[in-house]
Amino acid sequence: MAQQTLLSPAELAYLHSSLSLSPPIRPDGRTSKQFRPLTAETGILPGTNGSARVCLSDGTEAIVGVKAEIEKTVDPLGGEHYQEYVKSASGVGGGDAEADRSAARGEWLEMTVEIPGLRDDDAGTVFLAELLREALLADGEFAKKLWINRRFHWRLYLDILLISPPLSYPLPLLSLTTHLALLATRLPRLKSEGDEDPMFDDDWEAAPFLYPREGATTGPRPSITLLVVAVGDSILFDPSKEELAVADSALAVSLCEVRTQREQGGMEVDSGRELRLVSMRTIDPPSRLTPPGVPSTANLAASGTSDTTQQKQQQRAEEHPQEGVWKAPLGGTRFAVLDSIMQAVLEKGGVADEVLDGLEGVDLA
Amino acid sequence: MPLDTSTYSLALLRIDGRRWNDLRRLHAQIHTQDAADGSSYLEMGHTKVMCVVTGPAEPQAGQQKRGTGGGGQAGGQKDGASIVVNVVVAGFSSVDRKRRGRNDRRIQEMEITIQKALAANLHVHLFPHSTITVSLHVLSQDGSLLAALINATTLALIDAGIPMTDYITACTAGSTSSYAAGDDSADPLLDLNTQEEQELPYLTVATLGDSDKVAVLVCESRVQVSRLEGMLVVGVDGCRQMRRLLDGIVRQKGSKMIKEGAVQRSDMMAVSLED
Repeated sequence: MAQQTLLSPAELAYLHSSLSLSPPIRPDGRTSKQFRPLTAETGILPGTNGSARVCLSDGTEAIVGVKAEIEKTVDPLGGEHYQEYVKSASGVGGGDAEADRSAARGEWLEMTVEIPGLRDDDAGTVFLAELLREALLADGEFAKKLWINRRFHWRLYLDILLISPPLSYPLPLLSLTTHLALLATRLPRLKSEGDEDPMFDDDWEAAPFLYPREGATTGPRPSITLLVVAVGDSILFDPSKEELAVADSALAVSLCEVRTQREQGGMEVDSGRELRLVSMRTIDPPSRLTPPGVPSTANLAASGTSDTTQQKQQQRAEEHPQEGVWKAPLGGTRFAVLDSIMQAVLEKGGVADEVLDGLEGVDLA
Repeated sequence: MPLDTSTYSLALLRIDGRRWNDLRRLHAQIHTQDAADGSSYLEMGHTKVMCVVTGPAEPQAGQQKRGTGGGGQAGGQKDGASIVVNVVVAGFSSVDRKRRGRNDRRIQEMEITIQKALAANLHVHLFPHSTITVSLHVLSQDGSLLAALINATTLALIDAGIPMTDYITACTAGSTSSYAAGDDSADPLLDLNTQEEQELPYLTVATLGDSDKVAVLVCESRVQVSRLEGMLVVGVDGCRQMRRLLDGIVRQKGSKMIKEGAVQRSDMMAVSLED
């Protein structure tokens, strides 16, 4: 997916060793938890229910548009049971709305990712869309927002366009754009009641947001997915293309903010956000495909001779990695690394807090 | 919803209040994206497109196949750059969401049309063994899509600094009554929106610079041949207006770049910096 960087094994080794220092020295001078600046705007397309555009400072740009359609809810099992359920519920009139909402299903959200120059059924693109979709639905609350009544529901189409060529792994960019687009999404206000055919208020100004803004906003917000790489013992957030090329492992960490109302009337004025880790996935970093370096002791072109001792040395060099000689990383992520990633993300005032604070600064049109 | 064309003869006003030869509001920006070699954003009424040009660059393994598919530059790797055009129509661009795959016939035809027009206009012989990739994104569509795509491509190629003969500007022209009405005295119309496109015969015409040289002419609807000339004349005139507008945008950007010091001012420049 991400384009192969054209770095020699020596360059890779140099980059790897400077990134695994403590504190790491990154090529662009950032600290390990620092993000690159970005510009964002929402509500750019009046023809959609919600839209957002984000430009990262490396020039990559994405646009997300959300469209909603009404769809008739069909019985997942195709039996009479469901018909009875609808009838009995409409007979009583109302019933327990919360229980009904639990019938909401994740498949009501459809997501596509378009990357120029790639086929739309490309495995990487489909994986990316599914990764983002899964993170959104993982809180279990999202689908319930699409429930209208027992017979109808909203079907939400989320189309993600990557405008620029894929310079680096676009996952964080797409995730942040999706987050903003969903915050800007509004659905028409429902006028009808109960299980009758839905009727909507045609005043767009009265349309409520999918994620309510001010006042008593409780419940989870749309999730964000961050890309984290581990190089040696250091953990780097928002990796650039070069950093991804030497990563020992790359992880997509999805988390969502849950707003809870504090009604205890306590002294706490500052209602801190509660963060919830939604999912964590490993991503195959492009470093796995880099060619290994050859140590100068084993380099036949440098020494000019090839006797048996040197062949032995060469074999040894292949078995045991030497300092300063690049070797593509193998194996998984150590538990200590996973643990410290989680710590860095979830701690108070940590990376996620910083990102969410930044996103709150975006003016939602 | 059928378009009521009968009211046109009463006030000579179209459904959106324009006269027969009025263009819709045009808004365009050049250099909208820092990472790309050339980029542009263009709005014609409610049709909104974005264009990103990459290259001339070394051809990538995957792209080579598709680039040659469009004819024109097939096998022309040695003596000139090949041009690859990708059009992505966003699912949210139309009123009802409709997903169109990459293999959609209409999209492929637009890609090939743009590619052939560019191949004749750009000085590709200056860049042998390379590829110029044009990727177009349709964010919102309301008629004159191909025309908007061509205009956006021209702006992005100017931003990328790829030498070309002249601007290619495009515009649509239609006729006030449908083919079935058989009305030979029907007036021509300029710059149609979706409603008019669905109902009336129309063509898309692109011309080279200020001249009358037609670079692209696409007509997919049935129309009496006697009406064609009138439509074409109006279309070509619209292209000329369009060229003036695009040229204004390019000059505005150029003088802004000189004022900001992004470009050195030289004696060779014929740009007037009064405004």
